[in-house]
Amino acid sequence: MTSPVNSTKSSELARIAAEAAGTHFSSVQFTLTHGPANGSLPMPVIDPDKEDPNGWPTDFCHFSAAGLAVSTSTWPSAMSAFSGRVQLGPAEEAGPDDTYSYFGHAVPNPGFLNQSTRKVEVLITLGTAHWSPTYREALMQALIIEKLTGLAAERDAPVLHLHTPVAPVPLSIKAERGDGSNERLRDAIGPCLRFSIGVDPQMSGTRLDFETELAALAEEYGFGLKLNDQRFNRVRGDWFTIRGFDRERYRQTRAALFPDAPVLTPKRALIASVIGPSRTGTTTAAVAALRARGIGVLAASISSMRKTTFINLVLPVTADIAETYPQWSGGWLDALPRLSASAGHRLAVADQPDESLIADWKVAVSPAMRCTYPPSSRQTGATFTGRVPYPIWLWWQLPHRTVDTPALLAEVQSALQPHTRRCEIAYAQSRLCRGDVVRGRAKLIVMLSQDHRDHAAVQRLLTDATEAAQLRIRERLPALGRVDPSKVRLRLSPRERWLTYAGISA
Amino acid sequence: MTVNVRGRSTVAGRSVDGPLDHLRTMVRALPVPTAPLTFPSRDAALGLALMDLSFRLDHLPRLSEHLTLMDRGHMSRTISVDVDLEEISGRLRDTLIVPGQPVPGATASLWVPVSRYSRRDLAPVVIRDSNGEVVPRLSHRDANRVTAAAFVKLLFMLINAHDDVSVPDSPIHQLRHTHQRSRWLLEAAITELIMVGAPAGQRLHTPLDHAARLAASHPVRDLAQAGLDALFPAGRGDQLLVPFARLLQLAIRQYILVAQLGLDRPRRFLTWDAPLLPAQHRPAPLQSLAKNVLPVNREFVVEYETEIPRSVKAYHLTLEVRQEISVRRFVMSSDVDDEFVEVLAEDLESVARRADRLGSHHKLLELELQSIASRLAELGRRRLVDLAGYEDYLARLPIPVGPGSAPPPPRLTADEVLTALSAGNCSLDVLAAFCAHYAADGLQHLARSGLAGPGLRNIAAGLRTVQAGRDVTTDNDPREHGAHAHWRRPSVELSPQSTEPVRVFAFMALADEAPALIESITRMVAGLALVVLGIGTLLSGGIAWLYSPAIPDNFVPEQADAVVAVLLLVPGLLLARLDLPSTKSVLGQLHKFQRTLAAASVVVTTALAIVVGTVRSDHEMTRLFQLALAVLIVILICCVCEFYARRIHRGSSVPRSAKVPRWLRDVRRAKPTVEPDDFFDARGEV
Repeated sequence: MTSPVNSTKSSELARIAAEAAGTHFSSVQFTLTHGPANGSLPMPVIDPDKEDPNGWPTDFCHFSAAGLAVSTSTWPSAMSAFSGRVQLGPAEEAGPDDTYSYFGHAVPNPGFLNQSTRKVEVLITLGTAHWSPTYREALMQALIIEKLTGLAAERDAPVLHLHTPVAPVPLSIKAERGDGSNERLRDAIGPCLRFSIGVDPQMSGTRLDFETELAALAEEYGFGLKLNDQRFNRVRGDWFTIRGFDRERYRQTRAALFPDAPVLTPKRALIASVIGPSRTGTTTAAVAALRARGIGVLAASISSMRKTTFINLVLPVTADIAETYPQWSGGWLDALPRLSASAGHRLAVADQPDESLIADWKVAVSPAMRCTYPPSSRQTGATFTGRVPYPIWLWWQLPHRTVDTPALLAEVQSALQPHTRRCEIAYAQSRLCRGDVVRGRAKLIVMLSQDHRDHAAVQRLLTDATEAAQLRIRERLPALGRVDPSKVRLRLSPRERWLTYAGISA
Repeated sequence: MTVNVRGRSTVAGRSVDGPLDHLRTMVRALPVPTAPLTFPSRDAALGLALMDLSFRLDHLPRLSEHLTLMDRGHMSRTISVDVDLEEISGRLRDTLIVPGQPVPGATASLWVPVSRYSRRDLAPVVIRDSNGEVVPRLSHRDANRVTAAAFVKLLFMLINAHDDVSVPDSPIHQLRHTHQRSRWLLEAAITELIMVGAPAGQRLHTPLDHAARLAASHPVRDLAQAGLDALFPAGRGDQLLVPFARLLQLAIRQYILVAQLGLDRPRRFLTWDAPLLPAQHRPAPLQSLAKNVLPVNREFVVEYETEIPRSVKAYHLTLEVRQEISVRRFVMSSDVDDEFVEVLAEDLESVARRADRLGSHHKLLELELQSIASRLAELGRRRLVDLAGYEDYLARLPIPVGPGSAPPPPRLTADEVLTALSAGNCSLDVLAAFCAHYAADGLQHLARSGLAGPGLRNIAAGLRTVQAGRDVTTDNDPREHGAHAHWRRPSVELSPQSTEPVRVFAFMALADEAPALIESITRMVAGLALVVLGIGTLLSGGIAWLYSPAIPDNFVPEQADAVVAVLLLVPGLLLARLDLPSTKSVLGQLHKFQRTLAAASVVVTTALAIVVGTVRSDHEMTRLFQLALAVLIVILICCVCEFYARRIHRGSSVPRSAKVPRWLRDVRRAKPTVEPDDFFDARGEV
């Protein structure tokens, strides 16, 4: 047998089809909630029937930035007949006052094979200062997202996830390499973007071309570029710096490209969630269409769940627009004029008909909401007051149908309560994996209750807090969801790369 | 067997050598249905679930195969598996539940695929559990039916999810909404293929091959073909074409063995006798003739190949032969890291091709080279562990094999390692030295070293040549007539996403070890030579007849009958004590030459007896006694040669087989490979 015929993708196709064709289910049901980020997770409006074993959500995603939050939850659905491939509408029962919920169905795309791919993760640095983006930076960010995802789309490589803003990675000084105990603590968020694409491991040429063009792009625009360390035995959170951030060039390009965009920090923003069956090239199409209308991207979270892509974008609302549109959902082409009206800067652009790639996608748009930005970071000199928000990473694996993700995250927050004065969830994502387990990752932003200026003391405090919280969560989980304690895997750590369990395949 | 991906030339409307060739042929050949072929949705879901599980088989943590060599040319296999139903995810479990109310007090049960095997093996399979009770199976017909339902459903899902499904006048839209007969035709073709099956490696034989002047085009069939083209576009990485074609190919060539297992005992042990395996090929007649007529103390070499699911944590292969036969060597090799090596080699070649473009991004090149280096080092480390295990095995043998004339491994500096690698030398010494230098952080700035450049291509070629992706597992059975190899999944899976089955090769050399037939035969021939010598000496009254040209008087015995009786009886008695095996058995093959020696010595003495009884001349009698003794001595020399050949075989450190990885053969400087006597292929796909 010749080597190109590999049955890995065939079995993946069989797996997707088998899951999609389960006895009663042929589509995916999801809820989507937009709201202000007030520390706690928005409760899903429609609580799936927990008594029904198929009512448990399989995938969950939460993202909050700039004071706005969006969370999505999906589970299998019996509904099979509806026109188009996505259906979306406002939820019948309204949630709490300031949240806006939607409810929808999607037909998954079994032909979107991305499990057997090799992941290339990229961290882009768009600045080294405190995160408080202006309209101009939002446009620049949109441009960069468009270019990056465009590079992936040219090669048919699916975007596995994209997040911005994320925690920046400090340049490690050689003497500090090692186990990471002494490395500088990371800022909770910074003007950085993190995304990953999947490439067929057999097609290394594609991957190299992508990386080369990425490096060329970094050179052209001056942004900093780090790739995940692809060395054997390196884990997620190990980065390899390809290019440092070139402040001067980045500033020049930004000014040259967007001379008219206001250099103000947006006061209000709205969330637009673009939803449709997973395909390559969709993010580029969506962001390009927005940018053509002068709409920048303040923050973004893109991920695929059950072969359905959720592009969640936080769009800055133009300062001179006072009116507030109510929540809205509908087709992508109908959404564009609406988005231009509230967030665009160049209203004159006519709608081009070339957006066929996501023409059948659906959009949910929240009303404009108030933005807040982190008040302090180490860049603002907060180290001297000691009131710095620090990131804490969480990784877990639990048997499916025991504790659902929002409950777990609430538990984590309450476990960290004694040590922190503030604890927010910046992002969380969980999915149902092989072997009937739910695996998830989250990033929390905490502000310690004790102020310390000394780096080592903060390190110790954070480590103690996470160890204690981890212990407490493990004790509480069995009571919470009748989960067998031997099957709980949970790690909480101030360092991302300490999350991994032994790589010995079970 | 090859699924040819590209190069679909269209001859008379029928594509040749395309991945979906069988399906396309079937679309041409079948009558167009006028009504849809509807399967229950439950069947489709069950079929998809069975297909999914049967590819991965990740609910089988342990797999054992027990091989018994029946005779030369046939091998029986007993397969045992541990099944863990907890590994099957909840949603699939719901689909797999056997319908119908269970008996009160009993729990529900599941249909669980436990193996796939070739459709050619049509022997009945009886599965038993640990209590010896027979476990119910899904019949082949039902398994085929649900598989067909699964494919029809999959096709429908792919059509539904296609981009063009809402674009009027596109083939996909027509298939879905307006021209459904073409879709029904596709569904009928798939069903026919799966229910009937198609042999491997052959073109499908259809009635079309017997008809002339058929209408070249038919709108329904053409739309079906166009729909296939639109659904599975060739090119663009063949994203869907190859996976789907491969799925279909496996479905029409293999059966799924499905057992019904109760949920009350999630962990089960099942065992069944797999269909008898016939040998796949015979060595060339000239070669086997040479083995049979030369005093080479032949070994009987058997090679066995099978496929095991990648998710299996442990695999045991045991072999049992008759007590008279010894298993001289038993080595198992699997290609578990082959995919990893292939990806690594492609990375190396891609970097080599892009050396110029990457050169301007120094850090990118460094990252790429470091990633390559770390994987090379890991590969070196793994193979070194394998080699240590193999050396240990050689030392543990009943007749240990030492390092022989192999020189001690050279110690290389970092520069020497890089030079050797760039020259394409990927021998184990070099890889191991590379691993040591990498672990000691001695290879930090690879982008500036001599490695980056055309040398990378040589490394890729070298890695493929030495078969660095194959591991080695050795025998650990203390018995001489049995063997057992225990393969464990590596602690860190190097190609974690892969579900490609692991191919396992086993090499077995069977031999006749002490107390062996050749020893008895040597004693017998020596005894006969002594008898002839004694009679001659007694008749001539001295031993001068042996060397003197003079003819002694009175050599002809006066009472010839007594001498004839001795010459006939003694060899007959000795031969009767030898217990020669039948020629069909493996032992018979091993003893073929030795049996000839014994027969030859008896022929010599019998001829001598005839001479004694008939010849009356001293001259002739003396010469013929001399001749007989000379022939017996020649036979004795042959016996000694056999002993010498056996000594060489015993001392051979690496089997001369193409199935043994090249890196191992290179380490011990093995001689060229030879064909095995029997080859058994248990991969389910042939």
